[in-house]
Amino acid sequence: MIAFRAKNVSFRYDVKKVVEDVTLSLTESEFVGIIGPNGAGKSTMLRLMCGILKPVTGEIELFGAELSGQPQRKVAQRVAFVPQETHFALNFAVEEVIMTGRYPYQRPFAREKKEDFEAVNNAINVAAVDDLRKRPVNSLSSGERQRVVIARALAQFPQLLLLDEPTSHLDLHHQYAIMELLKELNARGLTVVIVHHDLNLASLYCQRLVLMHRGRIKATGTPHELIKRRILKEVYETEVLVMEHPEKGVPQVFLRSG
Amino acid sequence: MTKTALITIIFLTSVVIGILVGPTPLDAQILQLRVWRVILGIFAGGVLAFCGCLLQGLFGNPLVEPYTLGSASGAALGAAVGILVFGAISPVLAFFGSLGVGFFVYTIARIEGGLLRDRLILAGVVMSFLCSSLVMIVMVMGGRELYEILYLLMGYLGIIINDSNRLMIIALIIIALGLVAFLYRFHRELDIISQGTETAAGMGINIQVFSLIVFFSSALLVGLVVSLVGAIGFVGLIIPHVSKLLFGPKHRFNLGASFILGATFLLLADTLSRIITVYELPVGVVTSLVGVPFFIYLYKR
Repeated sequence: MIAFRAKNVSFRYDVKKVVEDVTLSLTESEFVGIIGPNGAGKSTMLRLMCGILKPVTGEIELFGAELSGQPQRKVAQRVAFVPQETHFALNFAVEEVIMTGRYPYQRPFAREKKEDFEAVNNAINVAAVDDLRKRPVNSLSSGERQRVVIARALAQFPQLLLLDEPTSHLDLHHQYAIMELLKELNARGLTVVIVHHDLNLASLYCQRLVLMHRGRIKATGTPHELIKRRILKEVYETEVLVMEHPEKGVPQVFLRSG
Repeated sequence: MTKTALITIIFLTSVVIGILVGPTPLDAQILQLRVWRVILGIFAGGVLAFCGCLLQGLFGNPLVEPYTLGSASGAALGAAVGILVFGAISPVLAFFGSLGVGFFVYTIARIEGGLLRDRLILAGVVMSFLCSSLVMIVMVMGGRELYEILYLLMGYLGIIINDSNRLMIIALIIIALGLVAFLYRFHRELDIISQGTETAAGMGINIQVFSLIVFFSSALLVGLVVSLVGAIGFVGLIIPHVSKLLFGPKHRFNLGASFILGATFLLLADTLSRIITVYELPVGVVTSLVGVPFFIYLYKR
């Protein structure tokens, strides 16, 4: 089944076009990475996909239903968005943060229902943050906090999970842990779309890559098809070496120094 | 929950103290005056602290209070003009002052395609300064009414209730409490907005519309309070912090607790203002005098 489809989608801030004439479709249970240089429109694309931004022209469909006709609350029951970094102005306990992911299902004034608590417990188990559940969220490390935000997204019971550079501030261990978690979620049937600056991580984990350049989709394909010296040089204007990962065989990128 | 029971008991005690304690012995007439004072105290303290909690939540900024956004200064200006022109506080003028300045602040803060929350705060602070200057001009022109305007600026719960204004005051209080109940339903939205506007937008909260509702509702509420009892400071800024220290950051508890704690605090401050000196002090003076040491104690603990 088609999870997401964009047809001739454009978006602009003021007059500058940020996303231009993008046509893209994603199948359910795909693990897709959006890559490309700074300012290529990757993050904007992600925000268009979950309805935070509305396209100026073009159409977006989610699981067969037109996005523009749906209340955002309904969209949030199917699509969850994880921002690059979350700043918590208030120092909630971890389980309280995760409970806010139930918002799209809750009525005003109503108390949390049994299914809300079940969803939170489930999200806590899947994201493996059980030992953190009572901790104040601002006492966590960035890696732990990113896990909690993913757990909050899971409490939304999404079918499509969108992440904006989820590992960009993290150390090696937490990069690995977050990517493994996403891989596991994907294996359970969740469609995952991730904007990534780290081409090697993207190549290692994503089944399909979408390469964006100057607001347009330059190419889509498997890591083997896209991570090539010639393509990267054209888009990033940088000379690189591409070699195979010694265990997985997927292409990995190396910079050449002076 | 024991903390809830505790603040309820303290609140009820402050009501009893507010009615019983004072420089004059209690008789039927004094009792009536005191009961009204207590009602106004609960209303003003509760609403100001509630609005403070609401706005601090919306802006994710612990320094925001009803007075930061200009609406209180606008109300004070309207009320001061009322005193100058009619010789008495005019709720209508205070009310329009508050909404007028609120609207002006909103217009300044508005940009193409949206509303920036930081701009709202800055515009509010700027407009507050303008209103303060205008109030000073009114005071200079006032002469005889200077004393009355001074009390208006510092806040005073002992307004005279008589047959001509009783109904109106009851109506204003009911409107305000209705609005408070309506705004309470947004406790979840505030919890989520504190985690970032994009997160909130992704979950289906329309930040623009929500900010507008909260901003103008609190301008309206503050206008109502100032038009009745003047610009009582400090409650709206500090009580939400006290509430947060006691009950944690969740707005479900915080909004309600702010209301009760604000009411309690203002009642006690008002009682003090009657007995601390021979002259009755404006209650706004007492709120800061007593509140600051108490807050420092609580914060440092």
